[in-house]
Amino acid sequence: MSRKEHPVWEDELMPFMDGQLDPAQASVIEEHLKECEECAAMVADARGLSMQMRAWEVENSSDKIGEHVLADLQGHEKKRRRQQQWAWWSRNRMWAYGLGGALAAAALVAVVLMPHQEKDLVQLFELERDASLETAPPPPPSEGQQGQQGQQPQAALKQELPETKVAQEAPSGPMVIRNARLTILTKEFESARARIQAIVQQTMGYLDQLTVRGETGSGKALSATLRLPASQIESGLVELRKLGKVLEESQTSSDVTSQYVDLQARLTNARNTEQRLLALQRERTDKLTDVVGVEREIARVREEIERMEAQRKDVFNKTQFATIQVELSEEYRAEIQPSAPSAGTQLHNALIDGYHAALNSFLGLTLFVLRYGPALLLWAIVLVPVALLLRRRLQGLRTS
Amino acid sequence: MKSDEQLMLEYKGGSPHAFEQLFERYRNPVYGFFRRRLNNAGRAEELAQETFVVILRGTEQYEPTAKFRTYMYSIALKQLWSERRKALREGKFAAASQEEKFESDPATGLWIRGALEQLDPDHREVLMLREYEQLSYDEIAEVLAVPVNTVRSRLSRARSELKGLLESPSAKGVSR
Repeated sequence: MSRKEHPVWEDELMPFMDGQLDPAQASVIEEHLKECEECAAMVADARGLSMQMRAWEVENSSDKIGEHVLADLQGHEKKRRRQQQWAWWSRNRMWAYGLGGALAAAALVAVVLMPHQEKDLVQLFELERDASLETAPPPPPSEGQQGQQGQQPQAALKQELPETKVAQEAPSGPMVIRNARLTILTKEFESARARIQAIVQQTMGYLDQLTVRGETGSGKALSATLRLPASQIESGLVELRKLGKVLEESQTSSDVTSQYVDLQARLTNARNTEQRLLALQRERTDKLTDVVGVEREIARVREEIERMEAQRKDVFNKTQFATIQVELSEEYRAEIQPSAPSAGTQLHNALIDGYHAALNSFLGLTLFVLRYGPALLLWAIVLVPVALLLRRRLQGLRTS
Repeated sequence: MKSDEQLMLEYKGGSPHAFEQLFERYRNPVYGFFRRRLNNAGRAEELAQETFVVILRGTEQYEPTAKFRTYMYSIALKQLWSERRKALREGKFAAASQEEKFESDPATGLWIRGALEQLDPDHREVLMLREYEQLSYDEIAEVLAVPVNTVRSRLSRARSELKGLLESPSAKGVSR
C-alpha cells in the first residue's frame, strides 16, 4: 500500500493517539480515520489497551514518606543556611579580613597613643593649675660655693624657665638627662671666663655655679656648672673647647622616661584622690571625727602632690637643660719678685722666729712629758725590779 | 499554578515552601512509579523518599533548561535500576514477586502486571513511562537517553505485544 493510496502510516497512529502530533498532522489523521476503518480500529484498540493499563491503579503513598522527606527538607534547609552563611563569608572574606585588620590597626594606634594623650591631659591640667598660681622665684645659690674672687650675683645669671613653658615643652619621646665635663688649660684666663658667660647667654642657658680661685705662686682656676638647653649642648661644647687646650672631656646621659611617666601617673592618682577627698569633705558633715580625718588626709595628699610635683619639675628641667661642668685653669708663668727686705727687718724677724722656736720646743717637751710621763713611770716600776733580779742571777752563775 | 520549574527555582532561591509544593504534587506519582515496578510496597516508599532526597541534595546542580519531570524521573529510573541490580545480586527479586499483592485492585493489577512482565524490558519501560507517568515522546527519549524514533517504535511494538498477551487465553486465565 503506497502513501498515495493510504496517506497515513501505521506508526503515525500511535503518536496521534498519544497526542504527540502537531494540530495539522492530527487533523489529517482525524480525517483519514473517518474514511479508513482499519486505521480507526487500530486506534480504538490502542485506546482500549491504554484504558486497560490505566485501570491498574496503585494506592497512594503513606504519610510516612512525607514526614521523612519534609524532615530531610528541614535538615537540608539548615545545612543550606549554614552554607549560605559560609558562602557569604567566602565571598566577603577579604573585606572582613580588611575590616578586621583596620580595626586592629586602629586599636593598636589607640593603645600606642593613649599614654601620650593622658600625658597631654595631665600637662593641660598642670598648665591650668600653674597659670592660677604665682611662679615662685628660683632659690638663691649658696655662698659657700663661691670663691673669694668669684662672688657673682648668680640669681641674676640663672634664667629659670617659666612654668607654662615647661608644661608646654614636655617631650613625648624619650627623656634624657645629659651631662658633660671639660677640663681646659688656658693662657688667657680672664677672657676665657668672660667667654664662658657669653656662651651661656648665647645658648639661652644659665650659670648654675661658678667658683674662681687664685693663689700666689700658681695660676688661677675656675670651676663652673653650666646649664644649657639640651638642644644647644653640642654647640656649647664646641665653643667651650675653643677656650684653650682640652685636657679632659667626658659625656654621660641617662634615660628618665619611665621615672617621669611614673611620677606623672602617681601625680594624677594623687590629684584624683584629692578631688575625691574634697568631695567627701563637702558631703560628710555629720561627725567631727570624720571631718577631721578627711582634713588630715587632704593635707597629707596635698603634701604628697607638692613633693611629686617638685620631683617631676626637677626631672623635667634636667632633661630640658644639659649640665656642663667646666674646670678651667690658667697656665702659670712665674713673675719677677720685688726687692728683699732690710737686714734689721731680717734680724728682727730671726729673733721673733727664735723666740717662737724656743717657746714651741719647751711647750712640746712639756706636752710630751705630760702626755707620756705617767706611762713611762708605770713601765719603769714594773721593768726595773725584773732587770735587777736578772742581773744578780747572771752574776751568781759567773762566780760559781 | 506555578510550573514545576518555577517552584524548583524558587526552592533553589531559598524557599522551602516551593519544594513542599513540588513534593505534594509528585509524591504519589513517584511512589506509583516504583510501586508498579517493584513488588515491595515498603521498598517502593523508601525509593520514592530517596528520589526526593536526591533531588533536595542536588538542588544546586538543577538547571532550568531541563524539565523537572524529566529530571525527576531520570533520578527515579536510576534508583530503580540500582535496586534491580541489587535484587538480582541478592537473588530476592523472584521470591519477593510472589509475595506482594496490590491493594487497590488485585485482579487487574496482577493481570496487567503479569502481561507487562512478559514484555521486552526496553519496550515495557517505554510503555509504562507513557501510560502511567504520562511522559511525552520527547521526555521519554530524554529520560532513557534514546532517540525519539526509537521511543515511537518501541512504544508501538510494546502495545502490539501487550495486546496479544492480554488477549491470549493464558493471560485471561491468570487474571479471571
